[in-house]
Amino acid sequence: MSSKPTPPLLLGSVALGAAGVLGTYFAAGPERFWANWVLWFVLLFTLGLGSLFIVALEHLVSAKWSVPVRRIPERLATLLLPAIPVGLIALGAVPVLYPGSRPEAAHHPILAGKAFWLSLPFFSARTVFAFVLCVIALAVLVGGSLKQDVSRDPAFNFRARKFAPAFMAIFALVITLVAFDWISGLTPEWYSDIFGVYIFAGAFLSGLAATALSLLYLQGEGRLEGVRGDHLYNLGAFLFAFTVFWSYIGFAQYMLMWYANLPDEVIYYKVRLAGAWRAITFALAALHFILPFFALVTRDAKRDPKRLRRVALLMLGAHVLDIYWLIFPALGGSPRFSWPELSFALFFLGGILLWVRGAMEKGEDMPVGDPFLREGLEFRL
Amino acid sequence: MSKLSYAVLGLFDTPDALMHAIPKVRAAKLGTVEAYTPYPIHGIDDALGLRRSPLGGMVLVMGTLGALTAFGFQYWISAIDYPIITGGKSAASWEAFIPIMFEVTVLFATFTAGLGMLLLLNRLPFFGHPVLSSKAIKGITRDRYALALEAESEAFDSAAAAQALQAAGAVEVEILPAPDRSPFLTSDYILRTLGGIFVTCLVAGLGIYTLTKWFPLLAPMKYMQDQPRLNAQKASTFFKDGRGMQPPVPGTVARGYLPTATGTQDAAATLVNPLPRTKEVFALGRKVYGNRCEVCHGALANGSGSLTAAYGAKPANLQAQQFRDYPDGKLYWVIVNGKNAMPSHAPYLTETQRWAVVHYVRALQRAQNAKDEDLKVVAP
Repeated sequence: MSSKPTPPLLLGSVALGAAGVLGTYFAAGPERFWANWVLWFVLLFTLGLGSLFIVALEHLVSAKWSVPVRRIPERLATLLLPAIPVGLIALGAVPVLYPGSRPEAAHHPILAGKAFWLSLPFFSARTVFAFVLCVIALAVLVGGSLKQDVSRDPAFNFRARKFAPAFMAIFALVITLVAFDWISGLTPEWYSDIFGVYIFAGAFLSGLAATALSLLYLQGEGRLEGVRGDHLYNLGAFLFAFTVFWSYIGFAQYMLMWYANLPDEVIYYKVRLAGAWRAITFALAALHFILPFFALVTRDAKRDPKRLRRVALLMLGAHVLDIYWLIFPALGGSPRFSWPELSFALFFLGGILLWVRGAMEKGEDMPVGDPFLREGLEFRL
Repeated sequence: MSKLSYAVLGLFDTPDALMHAIPKVRAAKLGTVEAYTPYPIHGIDDALGLRRSPLGGMVLVMGTLGALTAFGFQYWISAIDYPIITGGKSAASWEAFIPIMFEVTVLFATFTAGLGMLLLLNRLPFFGHPVLSSKAIKGITRDRYALALEAESEAFDSAAAAQALQAAGAVEVEILPAPDRSPFLTSDYILRTLGGIFVTCLVAGLGIYTLTKWFPLLAPMKYMQDQPRLNAQKASTFFKDGRGMQPPVPGTVARGYLPTATGTQDAAATLVNPLPRTKEVFALGRKVYGNRCEVCHGALANGSGSLTAAYGAKPANLQAQQFRDYPDGKLYWVIVNGKNAMPSHAPYLTETQRWAVVHYVRALQRAQNAKDEDLKVVAP
């Protein structure tokens, strides 16, 4: 565990990005600034929460195969910590971007009825509530696991298994709140009951992809000895299965609205199927579903590190595109991508990589105190 | 029972002994090597040199075929054979096809996986498998590990096989007689039966389809015709007035039709024809005039149409000075309200058609009373 020097490339990216981020606010206007900020907040949050879900899923079903790789989603889940200040700053976007919180909403026939729910104080209260739940879950699942490295106390496993079902309820609540408030709140006349599930699918996929990517990176450094193709296969199979789940939910939502053809519902898709957004919609379907699906369909592909790394990178990129596709049409007009988006990407990607690099040095690489570690290492398909 | 034996079984006490024996027995190349163990042993697939099952590829192919079948069938039904517009969607709406494509993909894939594994690859059912009736089977299901050399052809030498197994360390050797395969319920039989059912369904479906196309009287389902419903021009007890067809609510206006003008003809004199005098408008006016006016007013608008003699009616001679002096609005008023014996044409002609007829009548009047200057206008 030697602490490695921080690569200047990442620091430079963050510094350059920060200048661009500030420049965006003054040169490109607050609307664009906040749209980008919310995008990266949602990305950070879904990445962290999706990783925490992987950890909780293992405890929930008492999975053994994933014990040797569990430390990676545990470390990725700490991204929820930087997500908190980012999210608190993002509350500044509420009066700018979210129509439900503007004073005109009082005269809007639909929004007037939701005025209390959409008002800035209650909006902030819900966000803070979600953060508190996340921190509690993080402390129990990740904090407890790190302590077990030293204590070697199997009591943690029992505690985590008891907590996991409660976490699932918390998770469903938190991700639905964030999805409804931060993303579908941009178009408050439009609503979809399944929207939270759609965001969950994306979050889980991004958590899986980040886990696979970090795992392969650490293995490239010669760490995580004992993790074999069988473990990779399971990660790959999860990725494979949930590309289908994501498209299933996304299409189910689209098809019902397409069939019913109600003006206040179809407008959401009308905007996304017009002009240049149309190409992005089809690109999203190709990059988030068709490409990874066929890349992972064979058995060998799921255990091939090279292929898995490429698909994981693709999946993370597709997740960013997904959130971009959800948020940016609300600004109106055609898709915008230029120096503000680039500098936000530099700033946040650099920041995320710095954080993850630091997190990857915390504790042991595997949960050495977990009594099931041996069984997990011996896992064979 | 034939003298041929099915296989020679060698028993081992530990899985390790079995694993060590496998390469030796395989090297003897006497027949197919198969292992029977009480529980799965990791790595035994590679040791036995089992080829990767082709089932995955079969499932992929059949699943894709399922998706294409569902898409093709739905597309043919809804866009080619019997297109009906529902919900204002295009007949070939791929969005509506997706759920069924998904289901049929899953159906084809699971059937291929299940039946392909059981019938095609495992050749089940296999009642009385020789290993099941061997003496060793009790041990194999408990704490013994067996390696079988199975006969590949009639040249199988069971004595040599037994020797090879013993040389590889088998504690016990048992020669299994050829199985008494059921002559009836074999995988081939089941596959043929399933294939037969499939072909029958296909033939029956296509047959009924072509029959109903060629002989429409043999409609397989007549519920749509026999249902209780209101028929056009027929009485019905459903409404109080005893009529099946109900008149529209008073004041109803059809799309594209303006309400019938209620003013007097003189009041209509100030109306201005909103249509330009273009080739298209005159063509439309000519068509409408031919359809609705010509029978009475005649092709030249001189009041001598083909119906005039038959009914002894006297339609207006539109070439008369009185009508040539009419403003456009008055002509329009007559089309809408009718005059004397002429009924209102408002229900049959749209606003555009009425004004187009007015233009056309003006053209007919000018053509019948042409002056010399008119010729110059026509010159290009």
